[in-house]
Amino acid sequence: MSLFAPGSIPWLLAHEMRIYWRNFRTGRAGKGARGLISLIVVATMLLGGGVLAALALHGHQIPITPVSISIAALGSAVVFTLMLSQTLSASSEALYDRGDLDLLFSSPIGPAKVLFVRSLGVAGGVITIFAVMVTPLLLPSVLYGHPGWIGLLGVLGSLALAATAVGLLLAMGLFALIGPRRTRTVAQVMAALVGAAFFLVSQTRTILGEQRSSSLFGEITRQAQEGRLKPPPIASLPLRAMLGEPLPLLALLAGAAALFALASLALGRRFSDAAAATQGKTAAKPTRESRASARRVFAAGPFLATLRKELLLIGRDAALLSQVLLRMLYLIPTALVLSRNAAQGTGAALAGGAGVLAFLAGQVAGSLAWITLSAEEAPDLLSVSPARIHTLRRAKLAAALIPVLAFLALPVAVLAWFAPIAAAWTVLGAILAAWSSGLINIWHQRPGKRSDFKRRGGASWMATVAEMLVSALLAGATGIAVAGFWAWALIPLGLAGLALLSLRRSDAQIARNLRTR
Amino acid sequence: MTEALIVRGLDKTFIKPAVTDLDLTVHAGELYALLGPNGAGKTTTLRMVAGLTKPDKGEIHIFGVDARADPAGAKAITAWAPDEAMVYDKLTPLEYLEFVAGLWNVEPKAAKARAEQLLSKLGLTGEARTRCEGFSRGMKQKVALAGALIHDPRLLILDEPLTGLDAAAARLVKDMLQERVDAGGTVILTTHILEVAERMADRIGIIAGGRLLAEGTLDALRSQAGEGQDGTLEDVFLQLTASDESAA
Repeated sequence: MSLFAPGSIPWLLAHEMRIYWRNFRTGRAGKGARGLISLIVVATMLLGGGVLAALALHGHQIPITPVSISIAALGSAVVFTLMLSQTLSASSEALYDRGDLDLLFSSPIGPAKVLFVRSLGVAGGVITIFAVMVTPLLLPSVLYGHPGWIGLLGVLGSLALAATAVGLLLAMGLFALIGPRRTRTVAQVMAALVGAAFFLVSQTRTILGEQRSSSLFGEITRQAQEGRLKPPPIASLPLRAMLGEPLPLLALLAGAAALFALASLALGRRFSDAAAATQGKTAAKPTRESRASARRVFAAGPFLATLRKELLLIGRDAALLSQVLLRMLYLIPTALVLSRNAAQGTGAALAGGAGVLAFLAGQVAGSLAWITLSAEEAPDLLSVSPARIHTLRRAKLAAALIPVLAFLALPVAVLAWFAPIAAAWTVLGAILAAWSSGLINIWHQRPGKRSDFKRRGGASWMATVAEMLVSALLAGATGIAVAGFWAWALIPLGLAGLALLSLRRSDAQIARNLRTR
Repeated sequence: MTEALIVRGLDKTFIKPAVTDLDLTVHAGELYALLGPNGAGKTTTLRMVAGLTKPDKGEIHIFGVDARADPAGAKAITAWAPDEAMVYDKLTPLEYLEFVAGLWNVEPKAAKARAEQLLSKLGLTGEARTRCEGFSRGMKQKVALAGALIHDPRLLILDEPLTGLDAAAARLVKDMLQERVDAGGTVILTTHILEVAERMADRIGIIAGGRLLAEGTLDALRSQAGEGQDGTLEDVFLQLTASDESAA
């Protein structure tokens, strides 16, 4: 019997890979030479870094000590959380993304087999992302004195398999606990939180403050030096596997593969039932809005009606909310720095924090403006209406700015308590940055899908870079003003103004861009 | 007789000509069916009338309003409903109608009353506060139709309005359209279901290759096609489009 007999796991896997490859090629086709050049530049830079590392590390052996074991174990944990963030999101999406799932489940192929292959696809995707980043860095060292370090790729593979299994278990657990309608949202938010865990850990020093974090790190170093830091033997597995010891590497791979096989094969039937339920439940018991909302008076005129519609759509978009929540999480350390330094009157850190707030306001506003302006789901409906295009744009821009103001409220309120003038500059800078990002999105809008939010499908490359540049300039101006040199702030402010002037597009140019109206 | 729509010398070329020197007249208070084979230029014509596609050349007047010179004025009295319903999955029908009413600047109180009336008429009262994401294609079509009617347009343009509707829903929509015409409204629709045009349309236009081949009542079309009084619209349609193909 052939290995690729129809209905077998390899046959199904080959089918998945073919579809994935064709989607990848279609996706890449639009990016053209520019995308290829960026890819080559990044790969060359990584390879260059890898060569430098290989030269520096040639002849050096990594000792197996409690400290190196702890670092490797911690690093593995961090990579695992990053992978888990992706696999949890992908596993929950697999339940809702119909694609060819109905076809596969209606065929005589068992659901366990289908889930196994689909999960392999999820794991394969995660492995590919990390391997692409790590291989150019690692390869020179492997070829120049450290062949055993190829084990790192094996460790990455085992982490990806384990993360896929845990992601699948979590998604199915959520499904059983809270049902199909909430699983998607909660899973997206959880994935964002898990993904941000690494960032929050890296910000321990910021969150705990200099003194407390120094004493914590000091205590760990002291324990290591005094020989009191004794990680359990199992914690040494990642380091030994990374260094190419066959037994630890095999143990990790076998453990992860067993966990993966167990999870995907055991959950196959449940997965097929759950996937069917996502469709059945939506049709049988869809989300209902409250009676109060039905009693509410209709909004008057195009501006208010569009504003309300955009805010409702933003509020009901699970993926979008999780991304905004993620960015808010990144604000926590910044807000702590701001409050601590404002209370202590420390200038530089306060100015930096204010700049970060302004920059983030610009970035979040840019993302939301892209959603409201470019990812309009019924552009023809707006085009056939007599509403003026400027009214609709203003409403959409306002809808993008309102959530930004809402999420800035807390850090600015804290700042205003300690340093009201700095708070005023921060608010001004943040509003200007948000407004500018919105304008750039109006001038350079291109139709895209809401689901493409993360990569802003279809958005022009220049607009994205320009948005970042203007936000950075305005963030700089904010920081300089907060530091007390407000006259100097006019320089980045002027540059931002010039950039905006050069980016400005007439209505005719915007319409040409959109190819409608 | 007041003319609801006058189209003169309309031209549109994409890669190849989609509509060529098209003349069309629709009288106020009639149901006009625009028929044609796939790719004939029906949707392009209607999109130009609705203000969605810019013509290369020609004139469009809707109830005397020059649609090219005063697009907002023309749009204010027109509604367009394509075959793919323009609804938002994350909005409820009531929220959707609120948005559409806002776009057409309908007074909020009147809009709400009309929205409830339309939803009731279309059998959607029970789903008025349910997000559209779980709706069937037919239900979405009904929501979109309610949206097209919320501002009580003088000219209603429908592209394949019966696509995806079950028999009961199709009957409901046909009855609503007939009711509207009986009350003095004007409806232009395209359809591939020739029986619908045969039974409902006051006048029929047949378009192929971007040109209007024939226009008139069913009887007038029969005589143009050389069909007898028993000839069905299907016979007439096939005769006219076939003779156009052979002439080309």
